[in-house]
Amino acid sequence: MRLQLPPLSLYVHIPWCVRKCPYCDFNSHQRQGALPEQAYIDALLRDLEQSLVFVQGRQLQSIFIGGGTPSLLSAASFDRLLSSIAGRMALAQDIEITLEANPGTAEREKFADYHRAGINRLSIGVQSFDDLQLQQLGRIHGSEDARRAVEMARSAGFDNLNLDLMYGLQAQNSAAALRDLQQAIALQPEHLSWYQLTIEPNTEFYKQPPSLPQEEALIDIQEHGLALLQEQGYVRYEISAFAREARQARHNLNYWRFGDYLGIGAGAHGKITQVEQGCILRTRTARQPEHYLQRAGNGFAECTAIAQSDLAIEYLLNVLRLREGFTVSSFEASTGLGFEHIEKQVLSLTARELLAFDGDRIRPTARGEQFLNSVLEAFL
Amino acid sequence: MSDLSHIRNFSIIAHIDHGKSTLADRFIQTCGGLEDREMDQQVLDSLDIERERGITIKAQSVTLYYTAKDGKRYQLNFIDTPGHVDFTYEVSRSLAACEGALLVVDAGQGVEAQSVATCYTAIEQGLEVIPVLNKMDLPQAEPEKVRQEIEEIIGIDASAAVAASAKTGMGIIDILEELVRLVPPPTGDVDAPLQALIIDSWFDNYLGVVSLVRVKQGTLRKGDKIIAKSIGKAHLVDGVGVFTPKRKETDVLRAGEVGWIVAGIKEIKGAPVGDTLTHAATAAVPALAGFKKIQPQVYAGLFPVSSDDFEDFREALEKLTLNDASLYYEPESSDALGFGFRCGFLGMLHMEIIQERLEREYDLNLITTAPTVVYEVLLTNGETVRVDSPSALPAVTSIDEMREPIVLASILVPNEYVGNIINLCISRRGVQRDMQFIGRQVSLRYELPMNEVVLDFFDKLKSASRGYASLDYHFIRFQEARLVRLDVLINGDRVDALALIVHRDQAHHKGRILVEKMKELIPRQMYDVAIQAAIGGQIIARQTVKALRKNVTAKCYGGDVTRKKKLLEKQKAGKKRMKQVGNIEVPQEAFLAVLKVDS
Repeated sequence: MRLQLPPLSLYVHIPWCVRKCPYCDFNSHQRQGALPEQAYIDALLRDLEQSLVFVQGRQLQSIFIGGGTPSLLSAASFDRLLSSIAGRMALAQDIEITLEANPGTAEREKFADYHRAGINRLSIGVQSFDDLQLQQLGRIHGSEDARRAVEMARSAGFDNLNLDLMYGLQAQNSAAALRDLQQAIALQPEHLSWYQLTIEPNTEFYKQPPSLPQEEALIDIQEHGLALLQEQGYVRYEISAFAREARQARHNLNYWRFGDYLGIGAGAHGKITQVEQGCILRTRTARQPEHYLQRAGNGFAECTAIAQSDLAIEYLLNVLRLREGFTVSSFEASTGLGFEHIEKQVLSLTARELLAFDGDRIRPTARGEQFLNSVLEAFL
Repeated sequence: MSDLSHIRNFSIIAHIDHGKSTLADRFIQTCGGLEDREMDQQVLDSLDIERERGITIKAQSVTLYYTAKDGKRYQLNFIDTPGHVDFTYEVSRSLAACEGALLVVDAGQGVEAQSVATCYTAIEQGLEVIPVLNKMDLPQAEPEKVRQEIEEIIGIDASAAVAASAKTGMGIIDILEELVRLVPPPTGDVDAPLQALIIDSWFDNYLGVVSLVRVKQGTLRKGDKIIAKSIGKAHLVDGVGVFTPKRKETDVLRAGEVGWIVAGIKEIKGAPVGDTLTHAATAAVPALAGFKKIQPQVYAGLFPVSSDDFEDFREALEKLTLNDASLYYEPESSDALGFGFRCGFLGMLHMEIIQERLEREYDLNLITTAPTVVYEVLLTNGETVRVDSPSALPAVTSIDEMREPIVLASILVPNEYVGNIINLCISRRGVQRDMQFIGRQVSLRYELPMNEVVLDFFDKLKSASRGYASLDYHFIRFQEARLVRLDVLINGDRVDALALIVHRDQAHHKGRILVEKMKELIPRQMYDVAIQAAIGGQIIARQTVKALRKNVTAKCYGGDVTRKKKLLEKQKAGKKRMKQVGNIEVPQEAFLAVLKVDS
């Protein structure tokens, strides 16, 4: 089977936060004094320069500026970054450019400038509308800040908003979780990421675990929440992602469809298909901001081809998160493997009603979605 | 005729933690067998598992040279013996190579049952037994009381017992002097036809079979052509020597000496333990008295988690039996677990060690089923059969009588715990045969069903006596008993590998506790798991492991993939020792849940 070149996106990582949240396991670092903003944008551009060979004639479909807290940086910096990107690469006509914003750093003028700089989608980390919960989550903002941020985004001209919201918070009952969800929906975002709080290693919560709701309560929250979202016109297209019609996050969708992406910024990951060499590369840059500032542009901290034996599972780990699943031909084009590599497992999981297979398309069933890790394990 | 008066062959009889290995290390150090920097803790325990568990499983030997106070230089051959109740059979082999033995007793804890049994064996074999009181540096040492115990329980004079501490080095020279003075030198004629007793044989990847031998008569040299009496096939001796404890070539072993021999033998069967080696030219010399063959006492099924590993497993067992003739195995097939082997072990520790070695040295993932003893079944057609697996029990209608093995157990326990121990024996269906108060200790003798002893009795005994009680037992007879097969069903299907043979009176209780334990041990999965215990067609207990409601990662974006994959791999690795039974994954612990059931 021959690999085909998939669509290309760009991820930009901004590694600083005002404060590190106790649940967060991302590469984020508490800001110490003034940020070296100019130097960092310079570094990003050097980093981009070395990734250009991977573009292979493709247009960029999306850019995602994530963190950390990208909204700590000025609009002028992003303007410079985005203009430089546009100068070096072809952008799709309808490119989606998302910026992650923390409600605690929202300013009316800044949002307007972001929009003018070309950012056309904001992803706002609301997490909850309960002030006590926000405090326990270590957030720097209150529930009013979130509402104000949405209002500012709208008035700045953003017609594509995502809100991040968590459930299964400390001592949270079903009613409280649904109240959070209702308040998010009331703000009419185009997209909602509604996901269960998970305790990850290397976090504050991992060392001192909060008391989280029991399984029964979590299932109750999930069931009622899914019903509410559906009723309100938010279609679940991925395990934790919900969108109004045609408002799926194109950038994330590209991840989940096993598309390619360049990753620039401290600790950013990239994934690049190399058709001629018949392999897929994963790249990563230096994680520590100070190291990154020094080394950006001088090669990757890691650049390895995905082992043949890992291709199928890495593909499935992504595509099976999607309701749409994948087709036999997309599997073969994206991995370069023949379908027979996974056929036996697909058939057995289909027989167990964890997957649905119509001869071409394979999707997780509702039960398969609920037990996705068990489904994936079958492919290891 | 050469002079053997400078040779002393001896063993150390000691309970498991009474300091035998430390003492041996002291001897090696004192006699300069190893440099200090080579004194890797407890040098004699050469299997990894031995060192980790602090026990000795296989016989070992060390040849040391000691210049005594009389000015003469003596060759001391120390033959190490295993200390655990499972391995008592190895002891008599080691003792057969010696003229003397040190009885090492912890001066704080006193005499223990197993040392008593071993000591009797030594005395029966005509060995000179020298008592040593060890751990004299500890404040709880009570040498007078322990001397009295040795005299009353074992019946040897302990008035001159050496006071020692292997830890501090106290008394080490005194012990060596006593060895030289009291242990008789071996007898034998270096010019007589060769007779060498094989004490142990093991397989070495580079050398082939290595045997530990005691030369009784004659001389064994490198280049000789030898035969093992029971085999008759001639082999050229590639090398002989002693352990210092490093393997050292000496090119010759003479009557009275103990050492190793390598003779290009490729299979352990070619050098059977207890056999006699002689020269091909003197094939007619009589064989020495050998050892009695040891019967396994505990049987369990071992099954590879992945059926692809079956052939590797068979090869691993073949290799393992090269070094451990006491391990017995034959193919077994189970509806639930597929193809595996029914294995016979000397006891639970032996079983654990074998499983650990198979997994560690041969990289196998195995499931062990609940261990069982051998039952005797009288069929209605008058035939008597032995049953070593519950699933192999004949149909109830064809059984006339079932008989279980009975052991005679000797227990030594300090006075204050005797009540606990008697209660334990009663709960295990024991019948008291004897009880004597000796000094601080009570000597108890009970007849107990072997089934009640082999699994966890030793552990229970220890916990009921804060570690002080000691145990020795041996099989005496089969006896009629009201036994039934307790079946376990998972989601309605009988799982043959989970069946047990239990006493009728305990069946309901055991069934109930067993399913409770299994409920704790079987992890929640995608489906409800119903666990039932049944006797015949009657369900006597039921528990359900409720299904998981979900198992899905909340978020996964571009950079996370590698990490999420690792988490999946970890999740899968956690199931390494689980066996798929129908739709259900059953972990190893659940197969051994019976070990956690108190009767």
